[in-house]
Amino acid sequence: MAEDWVFRTVDVSKRYGDTVANDRISLAVRPGEVYGLLGPNGAGKSTLVKQIIGLLKPDSGAITLGPFDLVDDPDAARQLCSYLPQAQMPIDSFKIREAVHITGRIRGGDDGEVRRRGDELIDALQIGEWADTLGARLSGGVRRLTGFIMATVWPGKIVILDEPTNDVDPLRRRLLWEQVRQLGALGAAVILVTHNVMEAEKSVDRLAVINEGRLIAEGTPSSLKAEDRGRLRLELMLEPGAPTPELPEFVLHDARVGNNLVMVIDEASATAGIEWSQRMMDGARAEEYALAATTLEDVYIRLTGHASEEPL
Amino acid sequence: MTTVAESSLGLPQKRSGLGHWLAGFRAMLRWEVTNMRLLLPITMMVQLLSGAGLVIGFGLLISDMPQQTALFLSTGAVVITLILVGVVMGPQLVAQQKMDGSYDFMWALPVPRSASTVAWLVLNVFIALPGMLGALFVAMWRYDVSFAVSWLVVPAILLTLICGTLLGYAMAHSIPRPEITQLVSQFLIFAIFGFSPISYPAENLPGWLAELHEYLPFAQMANMVRDALTDGIATNVGRSYSVVAVWTLFAVGLSGLVLGRRK
Repeated sequence: MAEDWVFRTVDVSKRYGDTVANDRISLAVRPGEVYGLLGPNGAGKSTLVKQIIGLLKPDSGAITLGPFDLVDDPDAARQLCSYLPQAQMPIDSFKIREAVHITGRIRGGDDGEVRRRGDELIDALQIGEWADTLGARLSGGVRRLTGFIMATVWPGKIVILDEPTNDVDPLRRRLLWEQVRQLGALGAAVILVTHNVMEAEKSVDRLAVINEGRLIAEGTPSSLKAEDRGRLRLELMLEPGAPTPELPEFVLHDARVGNNLVMVIDEASATAGIEWSQRMMDGARAEEYALAATTLEDVYIRLTGHASEEPL
Repeated sequence: MTTVAESSLGLPQKRSGLGHWLAGFRAMLRWEVTNMRLLLPITMMVQLLSGAGLVIGFGLLISDMPQQTALFLSTGAVVITLILVGVVMGPQLVAQQKMDGSYDFMWALPVPRSASTVAWLVLNVFIALPGMLGALFVAMWRYDVSFAVSWLVVPAILLTLICGTLLGYAMAHSIPRPEITQLVSQFLIFAIFGFSPISYPAENLPGWLAELHEYLPFAQMANMVRDALTDGIATNVGRSYSVVAVWTLFAVGLSGLVLGRRK
């Protein structure tokens, strides 16, 4: 039965004038799956999400969930999808409990059930002490968690979370990921939009990388990392403001975030890499370096040419 | 560990019909009222003061005010407060939602668009009432006039409010950039205050502009409301109702089009 509710986009394309925001994107998410949508800013993730929830219409292609055609039936799309946008929720005048209760009711939840589940989520994310505080007085992190509860107190078959952990402290991030897993366990297809690759690596079952409107890779985190097996990540912290040095030939690919230069090298070049880094430090061009196993971040850099937005 | 009833997930059946509409309407009205609650007392107070202020202000312009003039001006003040609620508050709020990024969340909620719109209209009616009453009571106290209120006051005021609110609403939703929405909204305030024959006779305007106002809704709204509140000042009221009704239908259609549209 569960297979009946697979969520699919097939060749979804969307243009704004000459800009191709989405170029024939096809993907499938099964019920219970946590699916990451990764890509740099402007890659076309938001455009895709807005088409799923019925705010934008694809130029061509299909979006379906089970028997529902979400392009032809935006009302169904809005009922089927719960959505946490990247921007903060407009809850200045709401107490947490009220915001959660009203959105649960708007989503069609039964009064008592919405209250019960809302309170459970407020407890589970440990924000109970602010449950009756007005949104205007909440910290960014607590507002974010409130938004998460609003989006998931009465979840749809698809739950779309756009950067859910922004501003959230490390302890509650962990609690939040637990709840994301719970949504999967309930049978929701969770689509996680993020540019935080490290977090995605730990929390998604599968992921897609989108760049310049195209889906350029898809798979489990470990299948995507397979190509980088036998490689290492060499990270060099440059002197503030220093130009990027000329890279030795053994560097396979690289990206710079601020003063941090992230490179991927073969294991065989490890010694050469360390010696080169040491020379950079001796020449006062770098402050420190680190050599480590490759992560999904390196795959992401290789695919997109960008480092993820949050430096490691 | 949190659990949720399996039934809450997704859609065993797509919800539709009157029950779904009413539930959406109630929930959205609750959302709007709660959303406005910090501002609601201030907004109503500002409405009250602007209604009363307009009436008193007119009195400062004209020292020895004849009764007929007082009636004309104070009913004009009522109409100005009614129109301003619609063309100012809605656009400002939508522009705000677009700027703080909450617009997508609000419009991705599974509520019928018409239910959200009607909830917004109802809120506007309540916000507009104090200003209207304020203008009327201040006029009675300051100029010692008495109004002849007929049952037509209900359709006249509702039609004025619905038309103004929906025009503002459709405008705010159809202009993509919130900064432009705010500029247009400010231009409308200026155009309605200064260049619409609401609190002065249309004859005072250049001929072409007076002619134009025969077909624009604002002067006709004033004529309707004036007719419902006084005896013998307003003429040709049937035509005013027709013009405003056509504009209201246009605003309903435009709102439906704009809100249902996916780019």
